[in-house]
This record gives sequence, structure tokens and C-alpha cells, in this order.
Amino acid sequence: MIPAVERTLTLRTQLEDFAAQVGGGVMNVAQVVGGMGVLFGRIVSRMFPPRLDYPELRRNMYKMSVKSLPIVIITALFTGAIMVIQAAPIVKRLGAEGLVGWAASFTTLREIAPLLTALMISGRVGANNTAELGTMVVTEQLDALRVLAIDPISFLILPRFIGIVLTLFMMTLYADALAIFGATYCAKALLHVEPASFVHGMTSGLLGFGDVANGLIKSVVFGIVMALASCHFGLKTTGGAPGVGRAVNATVVASAAGIFVLDYFISFILG
Amino acid sequence: MSIARDIGAETFELARSARELYSVFVRTLYYVARGRRERGAVVRQMYEIGNKSFVFLTITMGFIGMIMVYQSGLQTKRVLPEFSLLGATFLELLTRDLAASLAALMLATRVGAGIAAEIGSMVVTEQIDALRMSAADPIDYLIKPRFIASIIMTTTLIIWGGFVMFSVGGAVGYFAFDIQWRTWASIQLVSAGDLITGLTKCVAYGAAIPVVSGYCGLSTFGGSEGVGWATTRAVVSSSLAIIILNFFISGAAYVLFPK
Repeated sequence: MIPAVERTLTLRTQLEDFAAQVGGGVMNVAQVVGGMGVLFGRIVSRMFPPRLDYPELRRNMYKMSVKSLPIVIITALFTGAIMVIQAAPIVKRLGAEGLVGWAASFTTLREIAPLLTALMISGRVGANNTAELGTMVVTEQLDALRVLAIDPISFLILPRFIGIVLTLFMMTLYADALAIFGATYCAKALLHVEPASFVHGMTSGLLGFGDVANGLIKSVVFGIVMALASCHFGLKTTGGAPGVGRAVNATVVASAAGIFVLDYFISFILG
Repeated sequence: MSIARDIGAETFELARSARELYSVFVRTLYYVARGRRERGAVVRQMYEIGNKSFVFLTITMGFIGMIMVYQSGLQTKRVLPEFSLLGATFLELLTRDLAASLAALMLATRVGAGIAAEIGSMVVTEQIDALRMSAADPIDYLIKPRFIASIIMTTTLIIWGGFVMFSVGGAVGYFAFDIQWRTWASIQLVSAGDLITGLTKCVAYGAAIPVVSGYCGLSTFGGSEGVGWATTRAVVSSSLAIIILNFFISGAAYVLFPK
């Protein structure tokens, strides 16, 4: 039996440990968000007037956009098909086969296509970007740039920032189109809804440009968060090869959490 | 000609990766049945994979639950202004697909990146070669505990995530669309088929994440940049694996459990 005084003591230290953990977590989050805010300020200050390395931007755009096309195509086609498979029983129950085009594309355009594209691009482009920057930091290449009086923000970070935001925007456009294409033919295979009536259900007035714009605005915001997270963690890398791995892990987690939390607020604001 | 060559090279590369991935999977299964047991390894990995993802998963699933209910409420409002089946339909979709797939995508980013980064760093620092030299197969020693832990914890976390989504959704339904909790929490549309589909997905995703990202980690080469590459590939490949598995399991369920 532990004496009563000691018991309260252990309880107290446990409570203190818990409070310390919670506080530490909050401080960590605040540090990351603050760091990303400062980085954003620095990036914006280099945009007016634009002090940007154009060859670097072109190289990054090729690496980020063109090379991501295959995974975006596969993800979008399968996602469109899955949307129809999931909507099929509900549509059948209501006997509203004509509405399946609208139901599938409403969710796809507004939520699923921007969200899944952002997650895939965050895995491919964001993580890769962190790894690249992290490796540069660990091997002291950034210090070398500074020694040569080259501003790392305008030479490295700004092109990557613009590259990621533009990539995600364009990939979301592709994903919208391809997901609807996948959904159309999945609806034909599963529900025997002709592509013409699928498209009619989509365009007969229930969907407007606002729904597409909603998804595209989201994709720009996701792009900004993702670019900031990936550059921030890349620049903050310490400790060799394991450090790069940890930085990549942190980027992926922070981007995913940021994307989901912001998605809620944007949906709420845009309505 | 060069296009044909590129496509051919890509195809060969893909086939080779698929074969190696398959071999990792089969060897993992073999060691689950026959391997040596190391005390505490599975529990440690369960803590790494499960407990450490808990807060992250709760937050993301909570927010996505709020978005989904809010959006589908708006959607329902446009067609039939009647919300009595919204909760039941949401629960049906959660059980059959959404809870499992969304939570698994979240876990693929966190857990997959973690596994690949850890194993990748071990490869780069030649710890894996040291293991092989001591006659310990890295798949038995490193991937098997993660495989078992991931199946258990993914299932647990998916069920928890679904619960979070449903209750947060209920709150949104109450405040935004005036749906009473009694009307919301109805299981009338959930069938045994939905439950089986959902649990199959839990196990399939839980098995896919450690195998795919373990394979990516083991095939790391070349310093710290290599670790970054491996981590990236792990996240992308395990997310793709989840989406493709989802397609096939959902399709099979649509055929097997007609409504």
C-alpha cells in the first residue's frame, strides 16, 4: 500500500506531466504555424517586385507538374468510379438514375477531386520538395548560397512556392475532368445510365460554374498551405539522413492536417 | 520510337516493382506464421502506429466529418428538403466506405512516411546489412511486427475515426439543419454486407500500408536524398494502393451484396 501523501504526490506529478505534454504540444503547433507565417511574409516580400529565378521555376514546374500526371490520372479515374459505386445503391433506392450524374459530380467537383489531388500531390511533390531542401540544408548548400550573396528565398523557395501552387491548381482541373470521365463510364457499366443522360443530369441546371470555382479556390488555398509546410520543414531540417526522413514525415502530416482543417473553413465560408 | 521505349521501360520497371512488392508481402506472411517471436516488438509498433496517430486522426476525421455532413446537407436541401434519412445514409456510407478509406489515407501519410523514413535511414546507415550479417532477415525483424501492429491498430483507429465522424456530423446536423440526435443516430440502413465490406477494407488497408512502405524503405539507396525519395514514394504508393484496393473491394461488394 502506498502512503496517502505519496499517492497524492504521484498523482500531482502525473497531472503536471500531462499539463507539460499538452503545453508542449500547443507550443510546437504555434511554433510551426508562426514559422510558416514568417516564411509566407518573406515569400510575399520577394514577389513585389518579382525577384525570381525563372530557369529554376521552369525546372520545378516540369518536375512537379509533368511528372505527377500519371498518379493524378490514376487517382482521378478510380475516384470517379468509386463515387458512382458508392452512390449507386442510394440512387437505385430512390429510383433517381437520372440524378446520378449530378450527385457524383457535385461531391467530386466540390470536395473529393481537390482533396484527393491535394493529398496525392502533397505526398509526391510536397514531400519530395522537403527532401530536396532538407538535403541541401544538411549538406550546407544553403550556407554556400548565402556566402555567394544569393538570396535563398528568391532563388530556391519562391520558384518552388509558385510551382507547387500552380501545379495543384492545374492538377485539380485535370482531376475534375478525369474523375467525371471515370464516373460517366462507371455509371454506364453499373447502372446502365447512358453517358448522354449522365451529362444531362450534370448540366441541366443543378450544377453551376460556382461548384467548379469552389473546388478551384480550395485547390489554391491547399497549394499555399502545402508549399509553406514543405518549405518550412525543409529549411528547418537538422541531423543528417534520419533528419531528412523526419522532416518529410512532419511535412506530410502538417500538410494533411492543414488541408483538412482549412477545407472545413473554406466550405463554410463559401457555402 | 522513343515513346515506345519509354513506355516499355516504365512497364518493365512497374512489373519488377510489383514482383518485389509481392515477394515482400509473401515473406511477411511466411514470417507471421513461422518467424521467431520477439517480446514487445509488436506492442512497441502498436504504440508507434496507433497511439501516436490518435490525435492527428481525431482532428482530421472530425473536420472531414463536419464538412461531409454540411455539404450533403446543402445538397439534400436543393433536391428534397427532408433530413430524416440523412443520418442513416451517412452511417451507411461511413460503414461501407468513407470511414475506412479516409482514415486509411490519413494513416498512409503518417504511418507510411514514418515506416519508410525509419527503415530507409537504417538502409542508408547500413544497419540492414548488419542485420543480414547476423542472420536476421530484415523482413522478419522489421516489417513483420509493423505488419501485425498495423492491421490491429488500423482497424481500431478506423472504427474510432468513424465514431468521431458520425458524432461530429450529428452535432453539425443538430446546429445547422435542426436534426435531432434520435433521428440522426439510426442504423436502419446499415446491413451485414456493409459491415463486412467495411471490416474487409480495414484489414486490407492495414496490411497494405506497412508492406508497401516497408518495401519502399528497404529499396532506399544513396544518402539522405535517398531517404527523402523513399519516404515520398512510400506515401504516394500506399495512397495509390488504398485507392485501387478501395475500387476493387467496393466493386466486389456491389456485386456480392446487392441492395
